[in-house]
Amino acid sequence: MLRYIGLAAIGLVVTSPTSAFEAPIVGNVSSKCSIYTDTPGVYGNPSPDKLSTLAADGGVTPVIRIDVTAAEYYTAKISWPNDFSSSPTLDDAQAWDGEVTVTGTSTTDMSGYEAAKLEYENHTEYSLTAAGSTWFGITSTVEYGQGKSLPGGEYKAMVVAECIAD
Amino acid sequence: MKKICYGFALAIIANITNAHELTPTYPKLKPSVIDGALVAEMKLWNRRRDVRYYEITVHDSEWNNIPFAAVERLMNVEYNEMRIFGVYVKKETARKITYICTTSKQLKEDVESTGLTTRICSKVK
Repeated sequence: MLRYIGLAAIGLVVTSPTSAFEAPIVGNVSSKCSIYTDTPGVYGNPSPDKLSTLAADGGVTPVIRIDVTAAEYYTAKISWPNDFSSSPTLDDAQAWDGEVTVTGTSTTDMSGYEAAKLEYENHTEYSLTAAGSTWFGITSTVEYGQGKSLPGGEYKAMVVAECIAD
Repeated sequence: MKKICYGFALAIIANITNAHELTPTYPKLKPSVIDGALVAEMKLWNRRRDVRYYEITVHDSEWNNIPFAAVERLMNVEYNEMRIFGVYVKKETARKITYICTTSKQLKEDVESTGLTTRICSKVK
């Protein structure tokens, strides 16, 4: 009897280290910025000399989303276009205008982004002080010459979205 | 209801699959196998369907360009591909380096009416 109890005890000692084996799950959250293209923009042609991404002008306003995984690591800099990346030959001046606005946020901590934005030339900067997602709408309009019609053809312009580590 | 669910799922997938990512946020310059050069290891993840090329640039705190070496300055990174690359700089210029950036480059035919150029800059501290 004593021999059986002894064997059982040895068995427990031998098996217990294996049954208590731990499989650790290791994770690492590091600061990261991701820029997403949410809605591609389209120029509408409300009048012969004008192209615009405003819905009222028949265009589609491009929307981008910037995600940051940690607060206060990045500044977002978004620039509306001030030139065409491709277009028919244009021999007269173009008057460019645009606006960048916050159209959505994933947390209420970002409610102050729009008021705190910094605008200069065609650039707008936002300090990303909270972790999460922010959606930005970029409007772009261009008027051509003085009472001239834009030549027929395809027009393309680039919005620039930057995420710069602070 | 089913259509709304499908639409919602598609919207989520569309959002997930169009991004540009660069890590680490704060890379460190380390000794490299090349004598007199330091290297920063960077990781780029292309999740933009409309972009296949990314350009590497290195800048000082005033955004002036700093000379550097890399296997490719203009990298061909396919959709959903992750690329680990080294940015090599001379030891003498290492102290000037502030930003390492990658900028998306689109082919003319890939740009829609208003295209999007994305640039992410990590800071060397």
